[in-house]
Amino acid sequence: MKDKIKNFLESDLLESYLIGTTTEMETMKVEQYIAMYPEVREAYNELQESLEIFAKLHAIKSPEGLKEKITARIKSEQVGRRKFFRFAIAASIVAMIFAGSSYFYWDQNQNLQEENSMVSNKIKLLEADMKQQLEDVRNQFIVLNNPSTRKYNVNGNKKAKELKAVAYINPVKKLSYINVSNLPHLPEDQCFQMWAEVNGEMLNLGIIEEAGDSQKLLALPYAENAMGYITIEPKGGNQNPTVDNIVANIAY
Amino acid sequence: MSILLEKHIVELLQERNDKAISLLYDNYGDTLLGVANKVLRNEELAQDVLQESFVKIWKKADSYDPTKAKLFTWLFRITRNTAIDKLRSLNTKTDKEIQIDVSDVYNLGVESTRPEFMDVQEHLDKIEEKYQIVLDALFFQGMTQQEASEELDIPLGTIKSRLKIGLRELRKVYGPAVLLLLLNIV
Repeated sequence: MKDKIKNFLESDLLESYLIGTTTEMETMKVEQYIAMYPEVREAYNELQESLEIFAKLHAIKSPEGLKEKITARIKSEQVGRRKFFRFAIAASIVAMIFAGSSYFYWDQNQNLQEENSMVSNKIKLLEADMKQQLEDVRNQFIVLNNPSTRKYNVNGNKKAKELKAVAYINPVKKLSYINVSNLPHLPEDQCFQMWAEVNGEMLNLGIIEEAGDSQKLLALPYAENAMGYITIEPKGGNQNPTVDNIVANIAY
Repeated sequence: MSILLEKHIVELLQERNDKAISLLYDNYGDTLLGVANKVLRNEELAQDVLQESFVKIWKKADSYDPTKAKLFTWLFRITRNTAIDKLRSLNTKTDKEIQIDVSDVYNLGVESTRPEFMDVQEHLDKIEEKYQIVLDALFFQGMTQQEASEELDIPLGTIKSRLKIGLRELRKVYGPAVLLLLLNIV
């Protein structure tokens, strides 16, 4: 142990450490020795004192103004730092505001785009719907205006005296329409359903809605000597007409 | 340097109070300028180095650990390293080695002959030149003992013994020299 310390002190690691020329590994070794061995610590402290004395013996009177130059530079260094920090803080605030507003606008843009596509879809649907309706109206007009179209008044039987409908049949164009203008009031769980007997087969033409349909012409499938029926059926319609509940028939 | 003053300066430094720099300059400025001058052997360059060193001292204040080194040792390391860097950059710039000529080292500068430094010079004169040369090579030039032996053409054993005696001689002048330096500062 004694030899180890002696060898260490004989080497000039301690002197190199003193003036700061040791490598990282050497520094670790020296600091370990200083911490562990009082002899090394004492030698190090003596060297530190000697260094200070030796350096002081070589002191040079510093020229006038150098101190002011140095303190001014340190002050500007501090101001620069403060300025930099202030700038950094300002810059981060601006960046945060920018990020926040960017997100806000991006989100808004996203919402607007969604709404836009929804609106344009709706417009497309409306357009298609309108075209379809216009086409229907035009066809109806052609049929109704045709000289060979005949008009049949349809009245309900005992079961539905109030039922009134008008059928338009055109045997030349092979088109037929029916306009139900008045329907008797039915209990909630029942509805009127239209049928057409074409070539011996019963075709379901659909339910007649009570409200709003009075102005509407329903297309009927055309056939020679076909029969149209209106029946009362359970709510939601039926697969086959209930013959007992026939309230009107249209022969055309 | 009184331990109390040293403590006070370290506290100010770590609080980042620029009064620390003023106190450091008053207490160590001349000595550190001397250190830079010993490395560069040019007073003007040494003044530049002193400025740069103080900026480094200010910036690195957090890294100073009083348990590892005295304040002066830390200041010395920074100043010496800054001076060595300057020397290297000058050498690469001019591509001309500045030879470390030992005979130059003890030529008295103009500054050293000023009356207030005469006492210091007297103390230095008390130490025989052969010891001073070894101390100078090791402390200022940063040579290892082996390098000093080769550079100065003196056997390694002689270097070792001269270092020992040199250090002992230094400690002899320690008392009066420090007292005088303190008187100079006050």
